[in-house]
Amino acid sequence: MNKYTDVLIIGAGLSGLMAAAKAAELGKKVTLVAKGMGAVGLSSGCIDLWGYNLEDPNQVCQDPLAEIARLCAVNPQHPYARVQDVLEESLLFFRRVCQENGNPYLDHRGGNWLLPTALGTLRPTYLAPASMAVGDLQQVRGVLVVGFRELKDFYPDVLAANLKKSGVLQADCPLNTLMVCAGGGELTPNTLAHRLENPAVVDRIVDQIKPHLLPGAVLLLPPVLGERWDSQVAKNLAEKLGHPVYEVANIPPALPGQRLQQMLLHHVKGQGVEVVIGCTVNGARVADKRCTEVLATGAGKPIKISAKTVILATGSFLGGGLESKPGKAWESIFRLPVEIGHEKWSARDFLSMAGHLFNQMGIKVNEHLRPVDKTGEVIIENVMVTGANLAGCNHPIEKCGNGVAVASGYKAGKLAGEVGE
Amino acid sequence: METDKVQVVVIGGGATGTGILRDLALRGIPAVLVEQGDLAHGTSSRFHGLLHSGARYAVKDKEAARECIEENMILRRIAPNCVELTGGLFVQLPEDDPQYADRWITACAEAGINCEEIDVQELIKKNPVLSPNVTRAFKVPDCAVDGFRILWGNVNSARRYGARVLTYHRVSAIHQSNGRVTGVELINQLNGQKRSVECEMVINAAGPWGGEVAAMAGLEVNVIKDKGTLVAYNHRLMSMVVNRLRPPGDGDIFVPHGTITILGTTSTTVDNPGCTKPGHNEVLELIKIGQEMVPELESYRLIRAFAGVRPLYQENSAAGGRSVTRNFALLDHRQRDGLAGMVSIVGGKFTTFRLMAEKTVDLVASQLGVNAPCRTAREPLTAPVSEELLERGKKVFGVPGAKKAAERLGDSFAQVVEQAEKNPDKGRIFCECEVVSLAEIEHAAHSGDSFTLGDIRRKTRMGMGTCQGTFCSYRILGALSGYPQFAGNHREYLTKFLQKRWKGMRPVLWGQQLREAQLSTGIYCTLFAMERMR
Amino acid sequence: MSSDHRLALDNCIKCSICVSHCPVARVTDKFAGPKQNGPDLERFRLEEPAAVHPSIGYCTNCKGCDVVCPSGVAVSAMNCRARGEYVSLHGAPLRDKILARVDRMGRAARLAPSLVNRLAGLRPLRLLAEKMLGISAAMTMPRYAKKTFLELYKPKNIGDTGRKVLYYPGCYVNYNAPEVGLALAEVLAHNNIRVEVEQFDCCGLPLIANGLLDTARDQAKKNLAKLQGYINRGYDIVTTCPSCHLTLRQEYRELFQLNTDPLHEKMLDVFEYLSVLLQQGKLVTRFEELPLQVGYHQPCHLKAAGCGVPSREILQLIPGLRVADLDAGCCGLAGTYGFKKEKYAISQAIGRNVFNAVKELGVRQVISECGMCQLQIHHLTGVAVYHPLQVLAQACGPGKWLAK
Ligand SMILES: Cc1cc2nc3c(=O)[nH]c(=O)nc-3n(C[C@H](O)[C@H](O)[C@H](O)COP(=O)(O)OP(=O)(O)OC[C@H]3O[C@@H](n4cnc5c(N)ncnc54)[C@H](O)[C@@H]3O)c2cc1C
Ligand SMILES: Cc1cc2nc3c(=O)[nH]c(=O)nc-3n(C[C@H](O)[C@H](O)[C@H](O)COP(=O)(O)OP(=O)(O)OC[C@H]3O[C@@H](n4cnc5c(N)ncnc54)[C@H](O)[C@@H]3O)c2cc1C
Ligand code: SF4
Ligand code: SF4
Repeated sequence: MNKYTDVLIIGAGLSGLMAAAKAAELGKKVTLVAKGMGAVGLSSGCIDLWGYNLEDPNQVCQDPLAEIARLCAVNPQHPYARVQDVLEESLLFFRRVCQENGNPYLDHRGGNWLLPTALGTLRPTYLAPASMAVGDLQQVRGVLVVGFRELKDFYPDVLAANLKKSGVLQADCPLNTLMVCAGGGELTPNTLAHRLENPAVVDRIVDQIKPHLLPGAVLLLPPVLGERWDSQVAKNLAEKLGHPVYEVANIPPALPGQRLQQMLLHHVKGQGVEVVIGCTVNGARVADKRCTEVLATGAGKPIKISAKTVILATGSFLGGGLESKPGKAWESIFRLPVEIGHEKWSARDFLSMAGHLFNQMGIKVNEHLRPVDKTGEVIIENVMVTGANLAGCNHPIEKCGNGVAVASGYKAGKLAGEVGE
Repeated sequence: METDKVQVVVIGGGATGTGILRDLALRGIPAVLVEQGDLAHGTSSRFHGLLHSGARYAVKDKEAARECIEENMILRRIAPNCVELTGGLFVQLPEDDPQYADRWITACAEAGINCEEIDVQELIKKNPVLSPNVTRAFKVPDCAVDGFRILWGNVNSARRYGARVLTYHRVSAIHQSNGRVTGVELINQLNGQKRSVECEMVINAAGPWGGEVAAMAGLEVNVIKDKGTLVAYNHRLMSMVVNRLRPPGDGDIFVPHGTITILGTTSTTVDNPGCTKPGHNEVLELIKIGQEMVPELESYRLIRAFAGVRPLYQENSAAGGRSVTRNFALLDHRQRDGLAGMVSIVGGKFTTFRLMAEKTVDLVASQLGVNAPCRTAREPLTAPVSEELLERGKKVFGVPGAKKAAERLGDSFAQVVEQAEKNPDKGRIFCECEVVSLAEIEHAAHSGDSFTLGDIRRKTRMGMGTCQGTFCSYRILGALSGYPQFAGNHREYLTKFLQKRWKGMRPVLWGQQLREAQLSTGIYCTLFAMERMR
Repeated sequence: MSSDHRLALDNCIKCSICVSHCPVARVTDKFAGPKQNGPDLERFRLEEPAAVHPSIGYCTNCKGCDVVCPSGVAVSAMNCRARGEYVSLHGAPLRDKILARVDRMGRAARLAPSLVNRLAGLRPLRLLAEKMLGISAAMTMPRYAKKTFLELYKPKNIGDTGRKVLYYPGCYVNYNAPEVGLALAEVLAHNNIRVEVEQFDCCGLPLIANGLLDTARDQAKKNLAKLQGYINRGYDIVTTCPSCHLTLRQEYRELFQLNTDPLHEKMLDVFEYLSVLLQQGKLVTRFEELPLQVGYHQPCHLKAAGCGVPSREILQLIPGLRVADLDAGCCGLAGTYGFKKEKYAISQAIGRNVFNAVKELGVRQVISECGMCQLQIHHLTGVAVYHPLQVLAQACGPGKWLAK
């Protein structure tokens, strides 16, 4: 079977979806194929841009955009150096799409949010969905952490104990925990979120929480408040309680990242993008430095796709964009070279502050996101590379994963949109 | 300083030490076992898990082979929940010396090991992972054995007869006066507190640390420390143990163990008995050799590598030890060095631990004037779990959950099932890779010998499966945060656990396991920012 | 165990993406989840085949898990095999054995289709069936056609294009919705292509979904041999039912290790077939105006084929027709699943999203390729639901393919 399209995007992660949204907006015929879902659904759902100061990596960065400008100067190999020109534009675009779909993302006066996680740690992030955007924790006059008996992965006591240790709250800020019951059973976050879409269940939760509310308290809950991106569960709960209610980041499965993923998928479909998930690209034909055809399979059936522009948004090893054997790593579709640097792929300490080399491996690109070889020569002219597939980003330490995906995806979509007939 | 009194102190909570404790207890000799870490801190959890039939040693060391087959049969009988009756294979490849096979057949027969030639075509059809080039194949009574369970089985059995166990206590000195051992000094490894125990007899069953322990009494025991690396595959590649039919060498045994398969092993001499760092290059070497028997080996997923140190005894002619067999050595220090009240047992194999214990306790008992006979070969280690209880278990934990828990828990299974029946929340599966319930985890946490998440891991297998603890460690930390020993420093508990897992994953970071590592760093660093946690 | 047989077990990284996308796990805690039933327990099944979670019967075999898994794990095939193992150990209820034989039911109904339809509408009888058999009284029963497709279809004599096409109609079209098969013939005739038909066995999906793998395997072998015969004689095979299609092409390979490679090339969804014609410039694109606004529901098994929506391009050629994607996920019926008393509520809860989307878009007609989805959407919303071919046939000529 053959398919013809203007822009072929391989990968349904955040960067692929951003590329699709932008290219479709620019009027291109866009096809997006992916073997499965991307990492954004596993993420907190927040868009990290840049977490910490370059000079002092323990200090939360107050002005991520300015810090990224400095980063690009000192580390021109970082993916941000390739997308700096569109960074702010891409964030505006992202926020507009979210806003239009009823899932507003908020910034913190241009700086970083410092949002609590279920472990009680604090994570700096640039954009947060409204349901997660706890303002300044230093200012709150009380915190109530509410867990659900049905969940295996959320423990209010752990959150509270470590939040206290983090020192972000005022010393006399009351910090309480509460377990509520949403009808019993063993529920996944998704099943619980589904249950909470029923207002009667929310009312029962409200009744259980009310007696424990102290004046001025902010409530922290697991990320289960509503299924869809435009769900009103968090808002309704807050209104019924008369207190602000927030979801915190948690180990997957967690709803906010999934909501963002579903929202973007829904959005691009609405824009006319043909989306085919469950379709794996195995290889491509390249002639005269141009990709003429991409070879894919769906449930075992071979599919050939021809496109003017191909956007490689296949992620890192996790997503499937990179593959590896002992001592060797390569890009999975075009066999683009992956620079390895040195022999030690991982640091001795799991939680090393330097991070691990394997998280930084990827493909080198030029300022048009075209893959380049060691000498800077473009390898394939109508292919662009985005997101976690790019070399030189260390998101576990830098806190920039979704930010790089948004900016690079947007830029690729924009460039693809500019390709003439 | 706290002082205790007991007749015998056993140093070392490995197979040998726990076997000795049980034997002492069954003969009515009051004893305490001292272990510096958790049980199985040493080699007894870092081994291949093969309950030898003896076939591997038949040609080189007939006596060792005979001991193996005898002990193999005994353990099947007394510890059915610790032994998986897989059966074993010896396969010959074209590059192997065909004459060796004939010598081996004769040797097996002489040692009393049942070996039966089987049809190669049939075998390959049933086990398509095996090389199509296999020229001959034989079935032998090899089994898989679970080290943790045997050790806990020994200890629980010994406890029923009054024995005591002190884990996380390191022997730091051995006291003596007038040519007699009078006691030992211990340091609590968790809080640094010292205590001493007075005793008449010290048994050094410290495995690779045997030389160090002997040195505390001013004795010289020459233990060669031979490190071996092993790798664990994500799934059961084959249903039987597979050996190479040639003189024993590196990387030539696959042992299926429940959900996983272990391939090993290498051999390098090291100085430090605690050196358990598996090497990346050793792993690659293992795969290369293993591939000869299982050609597609590279495409199977490794979840971790680990290493253990074999304690090999080298007779020191000057000291003149009493060698019981060439396999292991029992040193009577009264006779050998003029120090009464101390014996050392060194070398040997896991398979023969019971025999080693029997010989050791025979000697100790005679010196203490006790003439009760050894009962460890007859009395079962644990009572079998009844069918009825197993069925009840299946209702709360599912089929594999219940079976595995019953095998692990033996006598305590009933308690855990009851917990889950009473409170369905406790029946939830917390480690999904290895299907371990909250009830079992809480049982392990309650037991009084669990101080770290690692201790719970060893008792339950939580965190030992595909995700290597990424999902369950966090979950279990939360579930146990109500327990005083886990309520304190979450960062430390979690970091330690994840770091231990990381050590095993690092040498095998490619393919799917590298993806797993990205997921894991994504969760703990990107998402939880745990690297900066206070 | 060879790497193919393991269904990519080793690839699972436990990310739980499949769990968060499973439509059943979304609405109920009665099902342990795709990961838990699939790759988690599969590791145990290599040692102990009985390691099956009793909740396995709650999987609808929608294959959503396969689609979203970023690791290529064949989760649903693991679940199908596990269900087979469970049923072979514990047996299947009579109800499942009845429901799984849609072919036999169809043949039985042949004797008096209108009577069967009338009985299926009788409340007391349905309550009895619910009580005795566990067949939900609330679910709308598929109606049997007065004559089967094979009885109704008369090949027309048309100009020879040299193209040989064999149609695999599947049970639903044959017994319940012959108009879809006739629409296919009409559309191909519009392109001067003659359709051959033949009596096949049921593809076996209802058997597979109910854990009756042995019978399904026998039928699979027979069907595959027959199809292979046609392929050898130069035929293209077309299908209109995405579930039959996926079963023939994928389940036969994953569950029964049959070689389905020839089908990948030679068996096409009818719209794929038409797309090929279009790409070759051979499609007759003379369509009448059809001023209609319809909602489109993509059946799970079409999604799982990983080839996109083949009807999309062709329907865009019809003047006046506007197709809005419902994009609402699984409809919840899953063949025989939603007819089972204990699963009816789950099935309806899953389908709620489809209901909402139909309401939101305000469409009064919906199109969907799968007969069972059509039934469920009609049951949920009351709107008319058609196969896209019926819309296309309507645009091809004067016949009356859509009710008013
Ligand atoms: C657990 C976790 C938590 C995270 N949390 C955060 C967070 O809170 N904030 C933040 O900013 N960042 C976070 N990140 C990082 C961030 O989510 C990722 O870096 C980013 O989403 C990557 O997006 P991507 O589109 O580049 O790639 P991916 O999301 O990996 O997508 C790759 C896509 O390509 C497809 N694909 C791959 N190979 C093929 C092929 N051969 N054929 C077809 N399709 C293919 C995949 O199926 C997938 O759809 C987190 C990452 C992880 C792992
Ligand atoms: C790689 C490898 C594979 C093997 N495979 C097999 C096999 O398949 N089958 C088989 O039968 N055998 C096998 N063996 C051999 C077998 O594992 C060992 O012989 C056996 O486990 C040794 O048990 P042990 O109790 O003597 O020593 P250990 O298990 O090492 O126990 C000694 C204990 O003493 C403790 N200790 C040390 N010093 C002190 C102190 N000062 N105070 C308190 N405690 C102390 C240690 O912490 C340790 O736990 C293998 C060995 C290796 C290395
Ligand atoms: S089967 Fe796929 S989606 Fe499900 S947990 Fe495993 S890797 Fe993730
Ligand atoms: S096939 Fe559908 S119902 Fe079954 S486990 Fe997969 S997603 Fe869930």
